[in-house]
Amino acid sequence: MSPALDRCPRLWPRAIIHMDMNAFFAAVEQRDDPDLRGRPVAVTNGLQGTCIITCSYEARTFGIHTGMRLTAARRLCPALVQRPARPRVYARVSAAIMTALRDRVSPDMEVFSVDEAFLDVTRCQRLHGTPLRMARMVKAIVREVSGGLSCSVGVSGDKTTAKFAAKLEKPDGLTVIPPWEARERLRDIPVTALCGVAEGIGRYLARHGARTCGDVAALPVSVLARRFGNLGRRIWLMCQGRDPDRIHLDTPPPKSLGHGKVVPPATRDRALLLTYLQHMSEKVATRLRRHELEAQVFFIGLRGESAWLGERLQTAVPVCDGGAIFALCRDFMDRAWHNEPVFQVQVTALAPRPRRLQLTLFEETASPSDALNVVMDEINRCYGEFTIAPARLLQRSTMPDVIAPAWKPAGHRQSL
Amino acid sequence: MKFITTREDLIKPLQMVCGVVERRQTLPVLSHVLLSLQEENLTLTATDLEVQMKTHTPVRGMGDGGAGDITLPARKFLDICRALPEGAEVQLICEGGRAQIRSGKSRFTLATLPAGEFPSIETRESILEFSLAQKDLRQAIERTHFAMAQDDVRYYLNGLLLELAERVLRLVATDGHRLALCEQVREEEFYENQQVIIPRKGVLELHRLLEDNDAETRVTLGSNFILICTPEMNFTSKLIDGRFPDYQNVVPMSTDKTAVCEREPLRQALGRVSILSNEKYRGVRMAFSQGVLQISAHNPEHEEAEEEVAIDYTGSPLEIGFNVNYLLDALAACDTEQVQLLLSDPNSCCLIRGMNDPSCRYVVMPMRL
Repeated sequence: MSPALDRCPRLWPRAIIHMDMNAFFAAVEQRDDPDLRGRPVAVTNGLQGTCIITCSYEARTFGIHTGMRLTAARRLCPALVQRPARPRVYARVSAAIMTALRDRVSPDMEVFSVDEAFLDVTRCQRLHGTPLRMARMVKAIVREVSGGLSCSVGVSGDKTTAKFAAKLEKPDGLTVIPPWEARERLRDIPVTALCGVAEGIGRYLARHGARTCGDVAALPVSVLARRFGNLGRRIWLMCQGRDPDRIHLDTPPPKSLGHGKVVPPATRDRALLLTYLQHMSEKVATRLRRHELEAQVFFIGLRGESAWLGERLQTAVPVCDGGAIFALCRDFMDRAWHNEPVFQVQVTALAPRPRRLQLTLFEETASPSDALNVVMDEINRCYGEFTIAPARLLQRSTMPDVIAPAWKPAGHRQSL
Repeated sequence: MKFITTREDLIKPLQMVCGVVERRQTLPVLSHVLLSLQEENLTLTATDLEVQMKTHTPVRGMGDGGAGDITLPARKFLDICRALPEGAEVQLICEGGRAQIRSGKSRFTLATLPAGEFPSIETRESILEFSLAQKDLRQAIERTHFAMAQDDVRYYLNGLLLELAERVLRLVATDGHRLALCEQVREEEFYENQQVIIPRKGVLELHRLLEDNDAETRVTLGSNFILICTPEMNFTSKLIDGRFPDYQNVVPMSTDKTAVCEREPLRQALGRVSILSNEKYRGVRMAFSQGVLQISAHNPEHEEAEEEVAIDYTGSPLEIGFNVNYLLDALAACDTEQVQLLLSDPNSCCLIRGMNDPSCRYVVMPMRL
């Protein structure tokens, strides 16, 4: 990088910083246990978990990556250390980092996931200096508030190029692509390397002879628009380093809200599946209530060997009660499940809306579960999740909860 | 079967009955229209097993062997007639399981199904009959049908309640959030009180087809059907077997706040404000005070709309929220110059009615703001 960039007085018309934590969960483990530093570490869901959620850079040099089975990883690296995930700790560290960046760099920040954020620093250039200087600030602040963790930072004039830049140098990198150079820098990059351009879109573009960003930019925008609508128009701009997507400051209201869990492989035990479904029903209901929401349509699903067996079911009136959701699960199991082996269960509230927004004419006799839920929520808030719960949940899975990639430090996505 | 008629004499009756035909069918004959020819009168019937629509049209026979029954694919038949030139003469000849339509130099051969397979709704054992002017029935449906529920799990709300009590004919529709009620006082008394629920689809078809004239319309109620006969059509529908909620209880008897205002200015103001209300929830805020009603709305993009409407208001100031669509529907259904809004508090319903018009009442539950 040219040192002149740092002194360049020219204000960028738009400046976006993308911050990506390096092997976040594994790095937190190494931070908290000096014995792990410099060693290959894999984080799994509890000690029972067999799938690697994240691994340290030392492990990555052996070819180990996220999503790999632990047994396969051990074949590549017998010295691999397994660590159970501690989602609550990661959530705390993440929240501290995000809050510090928002307070000290730019309020125009979008938390993209538990370990990633975009900052729009366009309006901070006179306050903090050049985008490069602000990128250095970001790295220093992250290191300071996280107790020494590193991140990779990308800086450019739009979100896609900034995210692409952050990926170029890992770990602990800093890459600046000035907006006026973005188009040129992306020209020979495969279009599927851009965030949000999946295999399917890549294959479609390849059929039109477009593999690199430069190829796509040369296509008429109508080719993309006809097939992918607005997403297509956006991809066309992304490939020129002109991604128009703005920083989303607030989490939009949820389109759905759900919980799922892996069950012991090929489960055919009806009672066990019902326990899992009730567990998920209660989690969904508690979360709906915490955010003052209710829903009337629910997706109840079982993942079989190759496909999902699932249905959208409707309650008579909008609800946020675990019992009412579980009643749908029972109904679903009675009708739709014919002893197929199950690998995972899912309960999702579709289109949740603010609770009791529209008052009704024919008051359904105020259900006793309302009062019960208030007390239950209060006890569980004080003493922990499921301190009090339907008796069946005594049999529930002891597998720890997983932190979702879409976790946010506040709002309805703040859940474990 | 053989007959000659004009394109126009076929299109109108076909359009009347085709509304009943569902686009997707499991039973092939339900996508067909039944044609029955007797002398110079052609009867057309369509059904979806719940609603049955029958109408007739004049035709000219073509010699012997003209009378008979056949079924033809309803939409294709209608599409062909529509596509023929205006005023064209149309011949239909049916022989050996095939029907041929001829018009000028055009020939169409359509598949038929045996008329014997065509289902009909049983209309024996009537309990009660009465008559009224077609326009009165039309108007009562017009002023209530919009409040019916759609695909509600409480299936008895997906229809229109028709109630006969003493000297009153009453229609009521509700989706659980708002309610519309329309009454007509009759000359003669009903000997027996009756309550039936007509399914939504049938109500919408009636609303589409009833005409605004004085022609006598005969209504026959059975234990599980309703038959409505006008000079043009016979409409039959099965009934929803369920208990309609106790609507009397939710129409407020006394309220302590009354607003009177011009209907059209209020409707227009609400229409304008609604543009910037939340697209999903449609909430508007209404602030009632002496002489003026302030209406406002905002959306998730933080855009705002504000309006003021002059009102005659008695009572303490009140702020209350509503789904603007419910208010607009009710105001469109009142046809007086002025309307009355009767209110009590932000958690209780609003009763809307036309000034000096006791026949219709609209109840709308508020939204929490």
